[in-house]
Amino acid sequence: MRQSLPLMLVLTGAIAAARADEPAVVPQPIRAILAGRCLDCHAGDTAEAGVRLDREAIDWGDPAQVDLWRRVVEVIEDRRMPPPDAEPATQADRVAIVAFLDPPIIGHTPFGGTPPRRLSRDEYAATIRRLCHLPAFALPVGFPLDTERHGFDNLAEGLMLSPAHLEAYALVARDVAEEIFPPPRPAATHARWEAGPRDLALSFSAATLHGDAVRLASRSIDSMRSCTWPSRIEMKDSGTYTITVTASQFLSPEGHRFEGPMKLEVYARPVSATDRSRVSAFRLLHTIEVSLESPATTAFEADLYEGDTVLFRWANAEMTHEFNELADQMEVWFRDDPRFLAAWQHAVFPSGDPARPETTRLRGRNGWDIVSEHWSDPALDLSDATMDTKKTKKLVDLWRSMASTTALADALCYFYHERGPALEIHGVVIEGPSKSIESPRDRARAAARRAIVGNRKDGQTDRDVARSMLRSFLPKAFRRPVSDATAKSFLTIATRHWDEGHSFDEGMHLLLRSILVSPRFLYRCIEPADAAGNLDQFDLATRLSYFLTQGPPDGTLVDLATRSRLGESWVLRREAERLLPKRPVDPMIRSFVGQWLDTKLLPGIMPDAKFHFDDEATALARQETETFFTDILTKNLPMQTFIDPDFTFSSIAFVQRNYGFTPPDAKEAKQPLSQEDLRKFQRLTIPPGGRYGGLLGQAAILMATANGVDTQPVIRGAWVLENILGMPSPPPPKNVPALTPDTKGAKTPRDLLAAHTQEASCAVCHARIDPVGFAFENYDPVGRWRAKWPGTDAPIDASGTLPDGAVVKNPIEFKAWLVANIDLFSTCVAEKLLTYATGRVPNYAERREIEKLVRANREAGKGFRDLVLDLIDSRTFRAL
Amino acid sequence: MLSALQYGRRQFLRAGATVIALPALEAFGGRAAAPHRPRNFVAIGTYLGWHQNAFFPRQAGRDYELSPTLAPLAGIREQFTVFSGLDHRAPNGHAAWSNFLCGMNPGSWSLDQMIADSIGQQTRIPSIELTAGSGEGPQAMSFTRQGVGLPQIDRPSVLYKRLFASEADRARTEYLLASGESSLDMVLDDANRLQRALPSRDRAKLDEYFESIRAVEKRMERQLAALDEPAATTTYTLPDYDPVTPNLQIEAEGILYDLSALALESGQTRVITMFLHGLGQVFSLDGRQLVAGYHGLSHHGNDPVMIRDLVAIETAHVHCLAQFLGQLEQKQTVDGRSLLDDTIILLGTGMGDASRHSNANLPTLVAGGGFKHGSHVVVDPKHAGAPLLGDLYVTLMQRLGIETDRFSNASKTMNEVLL
Repeated sequence: MRQSLPLMLVLTGAIAAARADEPAVVPQPIRAILAGRCLDCHAGDTAEAGVRLDREAIDWGDPAQVDLWRRVVEVIEDRRMPPPDAEPATQADRVAIVAFLDPPIIGHTPFGGTPPRRLSRDEYAATIRRLCHLPAFALPVGFPLDTERHGFDNLAEGLMLSPAHLEAYALVARDVAEEIFPPPRPAATHARWEAGPRDLALSFSAATLHGDAVRLASRSIDSMRSCTWPSRIEMKDSGTYTITVTASQFLSPEGHRFEGPMKLEVYARPVSATDRSRVSAFRLLHTIEVSLESPATTAFEADLYEGDTVLFRWANAEMTHEFNELADQMEVWFRDDPRFLAAWQHAVFPSGDPARPETTRLRGRNGWDIVSEHWSDPALDLSDATMDTKKTKKLVDLWRSMASTTALADALCYFYHERGPALEIHGVVIEGPSKSIESPRDRARAAARRAIVGNRKDGQTDRDVARSMLRSFLPKAFRRPVSDATAKSFLTIATRHWDEGHSFDEGMHLLLRSILVSPRFLYRCIEPADAAGNLDQFDLATRLSYFLTQGPPDGTLVDLATRSRLGESWVLRREAERLLPKRPVDPMIRSFVGQWLDTKLLPGIMPDAKFHFDDEATALARQETETFFTDILTKNLPMQTFIDPDFTFSSIAFVQRNYGFTPPDAKEAKQPLSQEDLRKFQRLTIPPGGRYGGLLGQAAILMATANGVDTQPVIRGAWVLENILGMPSPPPPKNVPALTPDTKGAKTPRDLLAAHTQEASCAVCHARIDPVGFAFENYDPVGRWRAKWPGTDAPIDASGTLPDGAVVKNPIEFKAWLVANIDLFSTCVAEKLLTYATGRVPNYAERREIEKLVRANREAGKGFRDLVLDLIDSRTFRAL
Repeated sequence: MLSALQYGRRQFLRAGATVIALPALEAFGGRAAAPHRPRNFVAIGTYLGWHQNAFFPRQAGRDYELSPTLAPLAGIREQFTVFSGLDHRAPNGHAAWSNFLCGMNPGSWSLDQMIADSIGQQTRIPSIELTAGSGEGPQAMSFTRQGVGLPQIDRPSVLYKRLFASEADRARTEYLLASGESSLDMVLDDANRLQRALPSRDRAKLDEYFESIRAVEKRMERQLAALDEPAATTTYTLPDYDPVTPNLQIEAEGILYDLSALALESGQTRVITMFLHGLGQVFSLDGRQLVAGYHGLSHHGNDPVMIRDLVAIETAHVHCLAQFLGQLEQKQTVDGRSLLDDTIILLGTGMGDASRHSNANLPTLVAGGGFKHGSHVVVDPKHAGAPLLGDLYVTLMQRLGIETDRFSNASKTMNEVLL
């Protein structure tokens, strides 16, 4: 199957500067090829697209000529020219033309040229966090978004600075200054808040209002499934408060028994916390033992911070949302009570067919109402209500699967709300504060202030303190040494303010605000290049650090830059190794992988309910890809590993459910596997050469290239071309309607697309895009294998002809083709990495350097980390 | 229904009975523009859409019977128009939600921001973005021309402070603005030093910084000048807590509408949007706890009980809207019109059917603005040349005096049904 590689990979040693001020003569053999292949259209004043190639000599000193011939090389390599309706060029012709044009184009294409760019959102946030010692700093909601260019949000051409940005910077600067030099606060006022049962939040299935109490049922760690809280109470001051809670047990003859006291945990919950918070995100204040069925009142003292309310959780409830535990419990219950089992069977399988469960309508109390109606039906059909029937097995399976248990458990909560055991909360009173306290935030503020300003030494004046603050803080803020003139400008800001009668803190507040809106802080790599066109040492440190850590350079880098050592190849490589991300959660992984492979889109894609793909599955899919990337990087594995590895990172349960097979690790492990084993995120062996494994079979990428509802071959095709093969397609023309799947199932996506792309102008691009896209049609919008096109009986036809003429029948063959042509992929990743690192798309000469590094890497049998280090040590990386 | 909603305990005046002391704002003393041109625009969008069967009336034309969801609007049926069959031809999926005000491409320049960029600059606050009971991360409904999603205010107390700042707040704001402005000369001094050292291409690039500084400076001056003007005050009192959590959505919605009416009446803004998020909160309406959370209900799987309760929530939203429209109708502008005639209200969503995540056939309603109302306008999207939702938006913009003839993928108008 191996086809000729694109020419760029065949050429060796082509980089040779051929600077000639004289127009260079086009040799006769080249002119002959051009005349045979190109000049029919591209000659004379009427040349097609204004591209004239009938030249006897080329003036390489003219940038327009360089650009023209560069495009010629590109269309020849991409096989876009000669056009499909003309006689194709031979391989020998292509090689000869490119070999002639390549050296002078490289010679006349200077490396580098990233314009000054402001920090991106993420870089800015990380910089504020580190510089201002505010580890919890997050950008305010609505901070202007970055403009994506070429798939990344940190390219210079996208990082324009607009008044909206500057306004946002000024606001953040103000907020930071308010945090570090807060204005004096008015004294706390004593107050009393009272919340009755109607003031307690009912979130999902966590609680139900019954008479004068709210009942809790589950001890789930998800607060929205187990907890309630008075949402109309919010502390205005941090302090010690008296909290009085009235609670009781609720038991009934119809419900289960409950032994011993109920443990009611009271937490501090910020009012503005999301409902999706886990209980562990909150601070446990006190545990109350509730032993009586009549309301009893308990009072205790606890510290609450500004913005807090309290939150209640019944810690030792019988009911849990842990699906393994819950399923065991349900199984016992089903065995003991056939009517209960039958009721659930009828609710979950309304059609009577165990292959067609319907859990959508079973959400919340509605689910319980349906079950309970069946349960109380005297004519309830018990014929399947034994433990060995298909229906029972399927039902228990559903309780065991993480996708469906949550909904079923939510419905079950209402059993407990109605019949008990449940914990009842009748009300809460909060009074205080009896004394004011420092919140953790207050303490962090004081520490940040000390770190920025330092401690005032004996005899130091305000001006001395400001001067010493500027001496240490300004070079960090501006990421390079600061001239006296600059330091003086900033000092004047503070001294002038004091002269006007303002306090020391007000002067420092203003000084800090001013530093944070200086262009020296907001822009990076703003110094001019050195004579060779390279970044200076400090900007090199900055580029390296933001590339690998998303944050500003640390002390070591600054020190090396100061001593002019960083530019040395071995030092640069050593520092790069030190800073390379080691863990999947490191910012560079999230940022680069998220943008390159679009896994950042996952949280916004809500897969259709029919895929049973919940938030946990989405998070796991993303983690799989990020961990996979990190592993290849840290272990320095060969590039083919990205495409056809023999391992992945996932859970056994996920692989079984989404990838449809049981990994060997699961078969070899001690049986039976516990739920914990099944859900554990781990490295798993998978057979190479199969449907799954590698980036192109991972759920995260197959999800990111669909919309959660259906798949579109064009979108996946264009995506793979751009992000895996490095052959971006031009943007689609405007006014083309979106393809909507034919829901009646009359036509397959192939038929629809064929009709859509009949026009010749469409066909040019679609001939490249569509076959690649169809190769992935076997994967549904969450990455599961499918054999038929949805809604049809038509088997999926995934075959197609790739840009180099190779024919593949399915995604497995596509992967094999890509492994055979791995330099295509490696070059693509390398270009993406350098695009992300330098803030510009590599130009012709830089791409040639990258191709050379990629080829050398493969030929030397090296791995991905080696390649990244080579890229960092490249001319492209060092050039401004 | 409203009496039983949880905000029955609100211990404050309804905005209808509220006194506001108006400063002499130019919006009121202004020159007489073309007669009967509404000045304000309000858009309300739900995250989870509107259940279509309960939203769309069954009959077309003037003699339609009000649908269950729209029942609370019975008293002012001549003041609004319902539309069915309109959408932006946007692709399906949750990600496309923000197409409500953005048109075919989610995240592009939204209708309200186009309007704000055109007419909002004449007021103290160019536009206000609100959300009721969102309790969760960013979910922008409004996008700037550059595609920046705008943050929403979820705390009534924050909106209140912006509209009716206390003396102490104003003093602090003034201090921060004035001191910030005074320090800019030194920052710029140093920035000039930096720019001079750059090669010419980079020098030009840095011009964006200086231009932005000038724009921000101008804005600061405007803000400072505005602080010198007499402040709008009100007797309206907020509860002593902010209903920010999802379960208090309907309560928050009522208060934010009240404050919106006051904001428009006092001429402090002309453009307001309100986003109604939908999470797992379980509402009690009419003293009855609903059978599932809001989001759960939207995935109703055609279960009639689930649909009943979903519609109950949506009807509660419309009830809040009805109260808001009622307030606007009672308020008079200086030229003797009702504030409702002076305000176009657009109610809609980017989600056609949350149960299927479909973005076709978006439930839409337009009220106020002095339009010819009272009908249910039915569009057949299969009909060649059928109008798009964007065509309706063009009509709304033109009505506000904005010279434009296109919006997103639309380039016609729906003047014939509204004028």
